[in-house]
Amino acid sequence: MSLGVEEVRRIAELARLRISAREETTFASQLSEIVDYIDQLREFDGGTASQDDTHAASDTADSDLPRPASAADGALLDQFLDNAPASLDRFLLVPQVKATPGGEE
Amino acid sequence: MQAMTAEGLAAAIRSGERNAVDAVEAAFARIDEVDASVGAFLELWRDEAAERAADIDRRRDEGLPLGPLAGVPTALKDNMSLAGHELNCGSRILAGYRAPYTAGAVERLVAAGAVPVGRVNMDEFAMGSSCENSALATTRNPWNPAMAPGGSSGGSAAAVAAAEAPLALGSDTGGSIRQPAAFCGVVGVKPTYGRVSRYGLVAFASSLDQIGPLARNVRDAALALGAIAGPDPRDSTCSEEPACDFLERIEDGIEGVKIGTIREVGTSALESDAARGFEQALQTLARCGAELVEVSVPLVEAAVATYYVLANSEASANLARFDGSRYGHRAAGARSLAEMYTGSRSEGFGPEVKRRIILGTFALSSGYYDAYYGRAARIAGALRQQFSEAFDKAELLVTPTSPSGAFKLGERVDDPLAMYLSDVFTTPTSLAGIPGISVPCGLDSRGLPLGLQILARPFADGTALRAARAFERETGFECRPEAVS
Repeated sequence: MSLGVEEVRRIAELARLRISAREETTFASQLSEIVDYIDQLREFDGGTASQDDTHAASDTADSDLPRPASAADGALLDQFLDNAPASLDRFLLVPQVKATPGGEE
Repeated sequence: MQAMTAEGLAAAIRSGERNAVDAVEAAFARIDEVDASVGAFLELWRDEAAERAADIDRRRDEGLPLGPLAGVPTALKDNMSLAGHELNCGSRILAGYRAPYTAGAVERLVAAGAVPVGRVNMDEFAMGSSCENSALATTRNPWNPAMAPGGSSGGSAAAVAAAEAPLALGSDTGGSIRQPAAFCGVVGVKPTYGRVSRYGLVAFASSLDQIGPLARNVRDAALALGAIAGPDPRDSTCSEEPACDFLERIEDGIEGVKIGTIREVGTSALESDAARGFEQALQTLARCGAELVEVSVPLVEAAVATYYVLANSEASANLARFDGSRYGHRAAGARSLAEMYTGSRSEGFGPEVKRRIILGTFALSSGYYDAYYGRAARIAGALRQQFSEAFDKAELLVTPTSPSGAFKLGERVDDPLAMYLSDVFTTPTSLAGIPGISVPCGLDSRGLPLGLQILARPFADGTALRAARAFERETGFECRPEAVS
């Protein structure tokens, strides 16, 4: 199937990506070619495996192992906050959830 | 010292014949000499490496035991954490990010005595087959600077091939260790899924990602895998199976071992040189005493399409964490949280990452989920079953690593599908979770290396290494790229 510019724009929005008009056109043509290629999977889908049998690679490992909860190291928190673009005391600073005209952080 | 193997170098350092300090100094001298033309390294850790090396020499002089990789300079792919050091994953979105802790595999490597000398280039978020999707640097193939080193662990492969370090760690999701190893004429191991901890590795597609070694010969790769493999409670997918000594039986050869070729892996996908190289590789295996048989794994033909649905679906979820709030790039002037997310991601991610996130989001979106993600997941399950049946008929399977030797830089950047199709022989292994090793099998008519891929059952990594070693012994291939001689 082919993906149109509108569709690419809609999916990009879902993925929280803004792409330029030029990118929309390029992506639409490249992604259509890729999706066309992927559509060959229809011919291979014999439905022999159940949906439960889908986690192919990870099934080769042991089943997931729960680990005991442990308190976070305080030093790790400092390093975590050092990586934050903006923080105040022990909190991350981000813009308001709701847009306010001209308001920032 | 460049000519020395990791194994030989560590032995010489342990015995006091050589010093770790000199080994590390020699590695940096070599990097200073050739990396301007190779472009493998993004950052060098000179002071810390010198300190670690001095500590190893001191421990030896005090009579304390040293690990199997004592003093071996090692390059780390830019997606694995070393505490206190920057980690960019080849992306602008992680500019300035410093790892707060060390990855499980890196911890083990260092505990075995290896000395990390720096981080090396990769395709952004490990998405690519040529290293050209890196937002940070261009890496060239040491055999010919006009050629791509392969990807996504292109920096790891190029650094080892150019003898800048005897050892590197890479990560492999759909071929990202094996294909660059083949392109650069080195050995690359993608271990069994769950064999090596991914704690501290930036996630791309969590059901497929594995860390593994790249080295100039099979014994060094086996030594490194033995050092990094084993349980880690911090990665819930990491197997509890204890690590083993992969060198123990590595010289035992493959006399009488059944090795299968896969009927559906047609030579039509191969360039003529690569087809010839694979044919010769089969003859070499026969000379080693292997019994060649043919097996059937029909779904290998669906692997690339299946892989690009599953890997990108997982990537679209994994990469949702990069939104400008906790680390990395944040867009300026956002008036709302949503604007900050969208702005940061749009400015921070390069085109291939955006393309793949969009593809993955599409495959997971309402109305398309069953037709794409659901179908691909079913096929992957069936493929795994087919591999399991094939391993009842042959202990090991072999394929070419890649349809051709290295391609030119720039040749495929505008054609993502052509780039994806270069993973035709490596993605089936990833989907099945089985180990795959690329071992050099000679040069093509352009003088560029070709790789043979050896596959084994889950957790039979040692068997694949043994076959790779027998093959290597028989071919006598040496990684000596003239361009950086």
